Amino acid sequence: MDFLLWYEEGPVGLFIRESLWGYPIVLFSHAVGMATVMGVVVALNMRVLGFAKELSIPAFDNLFIVAWLGFFINLVSGLILFAGSSSTYVFQGSFQLKIGAILLGGTLMKFVLGAVRANKPAYIQKLLSIVCLLCWIVGVVTGRLMAYLA
Amino acid sequence: MFWEPFATWLESTWFHGVMIDIYWMFPLMETLHFLALIWLFGALLVVDGRVLGIVRFLNMKACMKFIPVAMIAFSFSFLTGLAFLHADPFNYLANPGFQWKMALIAIAGINALWFWLGEHKELLSLADGQQAPFRAKVIALISIVLWVFIIIMGRILPYTGGAG
Repeated sequence: MDFLLWYEEGPVGLFIRESLWGYPIVLFSHAVGMATVMGVVVALNMRVLGFAKELSIPAFDNLFIVAWLGFFINLVSGLILFAGSSSTYVFQGSFQLKIGAILLGGTLMKFVLGAVRANKPAYIQKLLSIVCLLCWIVGVVTGRLMAYLA
Repeated sequence: MFWEPFATWLESTWFHGVMIDIYWMFPLMETLHFLALIWLFGALLVVDGRVLGIVRFLNMKACMKFIPVAMIAFSFSFLTGLAFLHADPFNYLANPGFQWKMALIAIAGINALWFWLGEHKELLSLADGQQAPFRAKVIALISIVLWVFIIIMGRILPYTGGAG
């Protein structure tokens, strides 16, 4: 808690609360990063679920580099936004759910790719893929609704 | 302004009432707008990423299957966006951020049409791993850049409105 207050009252927190254009710029970066990460997650899971079967899954590799770039943008912009009122966010259910969903969704993405690579039965690949996609969707929905459930 | 009669009409519809009176309608539409935008951007990343050569070993013909996905996702973004417009037409239409966003979407539409009419057929014969022609790459790059700016405009338009 002390750490959160320190972070919130430090320069990052001050910047995001007081700079006129700081908040919108960080916010739109977060939106662009989200679209990038989620776009790749959605497209890849659609493929694993059987859409556009002619696409080779290993050939998606470079899109994952793009997705990681988006993820990095969101990690940085997210940490900056978090500084705005970190001591409040941590207790907010929608925030906790968001972070949990993203961590789980990210881990499951690894599992999905692992299952594809290991040639696990199709139902296992698809089941993992559906849960993974759902986690990420929960991440986006709870992220959006944080503004309303404060 | 020329759009004022349109805004007045939007405010007179029953749906305006729905958007105003039911408090969860706006957040619901926003959430759906976000999900649709993600689907749209993901589909574009596949198609444009292949054309640009970022994922050149993806089968071009199969990538094209994401074009209808993008179109369906765009329709959802459009409809949910229309819901926001119903809620507060005067402020949206007068907002420079909104006007820019609409202009960029129109340009992205023309760009997509150019892709479809001018490049689509030739690209279908591309072998896996083969680079697309330069012209097609330019279109794909314009598409991604435009959509990034459309997302940016959409996200900051609450801050670009004068009256608010």
